[in-house]
Amino acid sequence: MSTINFAAREINFKIVYYGPGMSGKTTNLRWVFQQVPQNRKGEMVSLATEDERTLFFDFLPVDLGEVKGFKTRFHLYTVPGQVFYNASRKLILRGVDGIVFVADSAPNRLRANAESMRNLRENLAEYGIKAEDIPIVLQANKRDTPDALPVEMIQAVIDPEMRLPIFEAVATTGVGVFETLKAVSRQVLSRVAAAS
Amino acid sequence: MVEPAIALFGGAYEKASHVLEELLRESGARYALLLDRKGFVLAHKEALWAPRPPALDSLATLIAGNAAATQALAKMLGEPRFNELLHQGATHGLYAEEVGELALLVVIFDNSAPVGRVKLFGKRAVQALEVITRDAVVQPGTLGIDHEYRDGASALLDELFGN
Ligand SMILES: Nc1nc2c(ncn2[C@@H]2O[C@H](COP(=O)(O)OP(=O)(O)O)[C@@H](O)[C@H]2O)c(=O)[nH]1
Ligand SMILES: [Mg+2]
Repeated sequence: MSTINFAAREINFKIVYYGPGMSGKTTNLRWVFQQVPQNRKGEMVSLATEDERTLFFDFLPVDLGEVKGFKTRFHLYTVPGQVFYNASRKLILRGVDGIVFVADSAPNRLRANAESMRNLRENLAEYGIKAEDIPIVLQANKRDTPDALPVEMIQAVIDPEMRLPIFEAVATTGVGVFETLKAVSRQVLSRVAAAS
Repeated sequence: MVEPAIALFGGAYEKASHVLEELLRESGARYALLLDRKGFVLAHKEALWAPRPPALDSLATLIAGNAAATQALAKMLGEPRFNELLHQGATHGLYAEEVGELALLVVIFDNSAPVGRVKLFGKRAVQALEVITRDAVVQPGTLGIDHEYRDGASALLDELFGN
């Protein structure tokens, strides 16, 4: 659940980028960091190994501005995608308000996408959250690669009921990055507004 | 809905700030922060003599992650929890302690403040903060974020990220 600090007149939301290793989660955050003006973002923190693989998480705070007298802020996190980092992944999901699932369009990553989605559901369940009850937006990334699979095929394995919105992206050049983030943010806002 | 939120405002916020202020005065530490477990800053105080603190957002996030990892380690060893978290370098130290289920107290000090004193007054502050934060827990649905808020925030999303 979002955190509200009435005294500082702030409302904070936590958004987590999930997905298999190397699908482009960190690249999404880097793009946001590069594009958002200085006064609307904080420092980007990356806990990564020497070869730039995410070890614990990346973190980027983004200031949306003031709404009804409340400073509204989104905290963006990525998880480490590699299978053996599950303990860390679980910790980062704590208190999550919305999820971007970054899938890799490469044919040889289809299975990894499916496994990561199943892992997401399992980890949410450990917090007592059903995947259906939290805003999740899908992103099919790396659309620029020549052998990229059709989006429908990717969605079929991670969201067989075709329930979730999906965005095509090339995170390295920013294509689809903001669209994805806007979509998940809107869902998060709607969900909180509906609860009040 | 997921977790209850802590909403610090009015008297509760004043009280929490006062506890942090007292803690700084008695321990001689530089900065004191009250965070929620997700790494959001609920309240913070700086000693008048202290230099500008580092980015609080990043600090809070890293400490919350660190604390979460530490508690996960405790569980793996069959401990319900590890007590405090203490890091000490040549000149700076950092002390973190759980405040009930939902919050964390963080104290940052330099070598002018003896670590024993930081811990002693830190633990005392935790007791006071536990009561304050317990009373500040609100169930989602009573937060007063309405459709007007949503629409306003939505417009800002377009402004920042384009249409
Ligand atoms: N061709 C291509 N490469 C990408 C794209 N997005 C990310 N990459 C590359 O994929 C690799 C892994 O990206 P990274 O963001 O670290 O993945 P993460 O493990 O999900 O955080 C890096 O070398 C990126 O430059 C994309 O849209 N197209
Ligand atoms: Mg990464």
